[in-house]
Amino acid sequence: MTTVAVPRTHRQKEIRRHLLLYAGMTPFLFIAVFPIYWMAITAFKQEADLYRMGNIPFWFNLPPTLKNFETLFYQTNYGYWIVNTLTISAWVALITLLTAVPAGYALARLRLPGAENIGIAIFMTYLVPGIILFLPLSRVVASLGLQDSWWALVVVYPTFTIPFCTWLMMGFFKTVPMEMEEAARVDGCGQLGALVRVVLPVSLPGVLTSVIFAFTLSMQDFLYGLAFVAPGDQKPVPVGVPTELIRGDVFFWGSIMAAALLVGLPVAILYNFFLDKFIQGITGGVGK
Amino acid sequence: MSDLQPVRMDHVSVARRRFLKVTGAGVAGASLLTMLEARQAPAQLRGTTLRILTWSHFIPAYDVWFDKFAAQWGEKNGVKVRVDHIPHLEIPARMAAEFAAGTGHDLILNNSTILARLYYKSLVDMTDIYDQLGKKYGGWIPAAKSPIEVEGRIYGIPMYYILLPMLWRKDLFEANGLKPPDTWELARVAARTLKPKGNPTGMAFSHCNDANLNWRSLMFSFGAAETDPSGDNVMIDSKEMREALLFAKAMFDEGMTPEVFSWDDASDNRFLASGIASWIHDAISAYRTTESTNPPVFKSTFIGLEPAGPGGKRVSVSAPIVFLGWKFSKNQPAVKEFLVHLVDNDKEGMIQSTGYNMPFLNDNAKKPMPIIGADPKMQVLQDFPKIVAFFGYPGPYTPQIQEVANLFVLPDIFTRVARGTSVDEALKWGVGEYRRIFSKYKRA
Amino acid sequence: MTVLPAGDGAESTTRAAAPPVARRSSAAAWWRTNTSRRLAFGYLLLAPAALYVALLVGVPFFFSLYLALSDANVGDPVATFVGLENFRAAWEMDTFWAALRNSVVFLVVAAVFKSLLGTSLAFLLLQNFKGKKLVRGLVVIPFTLPISVSVLSWKWMYDSQFSVINWGLHTAGLIGAYGSESWPIWLGQPHLALIACIGVNVWRSFPFSAIVLLAGFTSVPLEVLDAARVDGCSFFQRFRHVVTPMIFPILIIGFLFDTVFTLSDLSVVYLLTQGGPGSATQILPVLAYQIGIQAGSLGRGAAIALMLVPLLFPALFLMLRNLKRRDW
Repeated sequence: MTTVAVPRTHRQKEIRRHLLLYAGMTPFLFIAVFPIYWMAITAFKQEADLYRMGNIPFWFNLPPTLKNFETLFYQTNYGYWIVNTLTISAWVALITLLTAVPAGYALARLRLPGAENIGIAIFMTYLVPGIILFLPLSRVVASLGLQDSWWALVVVYPTFTIPFCTWLMMGFFKTVPMEMEEAARVDGCGQLGALVRVVLPVSLPGVLTSVIFAFTLSMQDFLYGLAFVAPGDQKPVPVGVPTELIRGDVFFWGSIMAAALLVGLPVAILYNFFLDKFIQGITGGVGK
Repeated sequence: MSDLQPVRMDHVSVARRRFLKVTGAGVAGASLLTMLEARQAPAQLRGTTLRILTWSHFIPAYDVWFDKFAAQWGEKNGVKVRVDHIPHLEIPARMAAEFAAGTGHDLILNNSTILARLYYKSLVDMTDIYDQLGKKYGGWIPAAKSPIEVEGRIYGIPMYYILLPMLWRKDLFEANGLKPPDTWELARVAARTLKPKGNPTGMAFSHCNDANLNWRSLMFSFGAAETDPSGDNVMIDSKEMREALLFAKAMFDEGMTPEVFSWDDASDNRFLASGIASWIHDAISAYRTTESTNPPVFKSTFIGLEPAGPGGKRVSVSAPIVFLGWKFSKNQPAVKEFLVHLVDNDKEGMIQSTGYNMPFLNDNAKKPMPIIGADPKMQVLQDFPKIVAFFGYPGPYTPQIQEVANLFVLPDIFTRVARGTSVDEALKWGVGEYRRIFSKYKRA
Repeated sequence: MTVLPAGDGAESTTRAAAPPVARRSSAAAWWRTNTSRRLAFGYLLLAPAALYVALLVGVPFFFSLYLALSDANVGDPVATFVGLENFRAAWEMDTFWAALRNSVVFLVVAAVFKSLLGTSLAFLLLQNFKGKKLVRGLVVIPFTLPISVSVLSWKWMYDSQFSVINWGLHTAGLIGAYGSESWPIWLGQPHLALIACIGVNVWRSFPFSAIVLLAGFTSVPLEVLDAARVDGCSFFQRFRHVVTPMIFPILIIGFLFDTVFTLSDLSVVYLLTQGGPGSATQILPVLAYQIGIQAGSLGRGAAIALMLVPLLFPALFLMLRNLKRRDW
């Protein structure tokens, strides 16, 4: 093994590995990103540019314009919608964490009688379709005086984030070895101490995943937002865009795309940041 | 302010007005009367709130005007008014939620899906102002009552309706020696001639509102009927209906492309604006879209009257817009006052909608109508009020017809025929679906 | 330093004094002797979630059962019991069976593609390579866009005239021009329409599958993997025999969750095709919405929506039994 041969072989291997990986990633990137790219272009297009048969969809045939963004910000309540969406999602994520993490731990670790059945029952709630739920829930919302305020959504959204996050946390907690907890107890922690000081830090990836999902799920809802929130400045983005940018049979495509981008990109960046935490916590990762 | 007060005012107001008029009761009485006549709300309304739910109008300028109009009325009468806009297709869900909650808006607009007959037990009886407005403005058009009348009482005020006329490319027709599409046969010939030249036509064979409207216009113009005048019997299995179905199939084969199976309400707009369509049968939103995105095509696009069927009959099925008021509203007088004020300013509304809104009241339909009377291309729209009809024609617009419309049964019959199913089979299926739906309502 | 609950101090000191060998059995003893405190603690932790769900979902669920068994409609405050009448009425509809069939096809086909794509993507993301962070951020975007907005974008991409997909295929010479036989009408041809809807669902959700898998992978302790590698296991062997069993719970949860959401999702079909053309893309949630809410016949809408339950039940049951067997 000469000193000359080793680096070349290693570097060749690295390059080959990189090329393979890039080749593998390309289809995924294309599938995921191509619609986004196209949405971005459309957001800057003039309306007349959209309706000509001969026009290239991927680039501008008429000069790009900021008009769609103007419409979005000055003629609709988009600014409010973004703030509402982010606030609602944050609150829901918080509520979900506070309820799902303890519940997940209790079900996973504390050997409660009937734990399995309770766990199943919680998951069964997903069998109840939203289109049925929203009617009785509207009565709940009204009796709380929250109708037509985005707080109504903060109350309602956890109904579909809590079950999943509970189960997610159960799964994560189950993978924490019993020995760790017992060691903590031997070292003088109580039940709560063991949970807080030992189990949680190890399950941080799971907790973060729960946060991400709660956040994302809150941004997906359309039906509840539509049913409970009518005022334009109280709507979140997923409700505001289809309701105020589609008028009868006229779609304001440019503005719809602009709206999608402006809300999707920051969230994706946020996601990216959290995903980092996963990988950071596990040096080397699986399959290094 | 107690809740009872406004309600009592409601029932008694008409009687009191008559009493005051008849007895000439004092100065106070007279001034109350003049106040009412001058459309100034009584003092009871001051300090109350009025919440209105309406749709997002195609013409954004109309919404801007409407919001300002409502705010101004509110200011003048000391009522805090709030207007919310959601797409018309989502209003039924919203109404269901408000009904379940027992609270929500005071005044709700229905577009196309008119739920008055479904919710009438919880809606404000508006017979008094309906009659009053009818008398004041030369009567309501015959089709007005159908969506909102239950057991002789009126549960909503019809505001306007949206037409779907013929929009055709005069330049293409003239270049090929074609006559304007005054009858369905002429329209078919035009499509047949122009399709090979790259200008087919298109009418949606899909699950969209336009399909519900267009195919009914066609079949009614051919003399077919949906239900009988009582609304109880399904009448679609007839000779005329078969003719209409065969005609639709022929028109599809000769003059359209298969893309019409995927169309939604906006597809025909785009079709016209792209310059491809030789003609479409659509609301003038398509006309306006073309105006703003394709001026050269717009110059040659003309509006035509509803084509006549083989027997010369013309029926134009359109989408009614109706205002309903919840009984649980704490401000019923404001609801009625506002509605009257809105109808009084109907002409202004028509102008703000750039000719889109068509009036339910005969006086407002007198020529020349605002905007459309002045525009040479749009004048033909003034002839539509005589031939307008709604779902269920000649029967009324019942909840079972509503469900039939929501499930797109009629467009499905036409789609099956266009796709190659025999007319007999398609009709058998369709009649079966209709009967199944109707029987459920009979049971309930 | 956190403050420890006072009571436990005594037990811990006792245990610390015991010989290390007996630690395991004393731990078990510890569990047993502290049963009541453990239970109290446990139920306390569980309470918020359980209550939230019971009140806001459980109660409405029973309400929906009541609706399905009554002749309720949106406008009527009073409904009478009609037994299985609503279900019978649903079974009589052709459209219902079409919707049921489509719901199942949708679920299965989408699940297959999501698993394949999700797993492959998760593997790729585990590797280290330059630009990985950027790629990760980009690939996740379909999932982060609100569903109503991204479906609308796809609607435009599938347009019969202006479809950017068709434009691309045509430019590449793979299909004919607009108006020709080979120009696909994505939302107009029955089979294509269903594929189109499934495609949107897969596009949206496969990053989700990938993330769940990724999270699962990263929770596998390194020691275990290293031990396996030392023992001479190949990559695939490690994956099948070591990683998969450990992450099975998370996989199952992700899978079940995605199943439930796909089956009950209304937005994709509602915004793209409204169930058309014909009943080619009709699915149970959309049918239930059209009948129950738009037409106002709540009882029948509820009955149709509840028909989703028997679909989910077997999957749920099998999965959960499998989990039990794996001593989870």
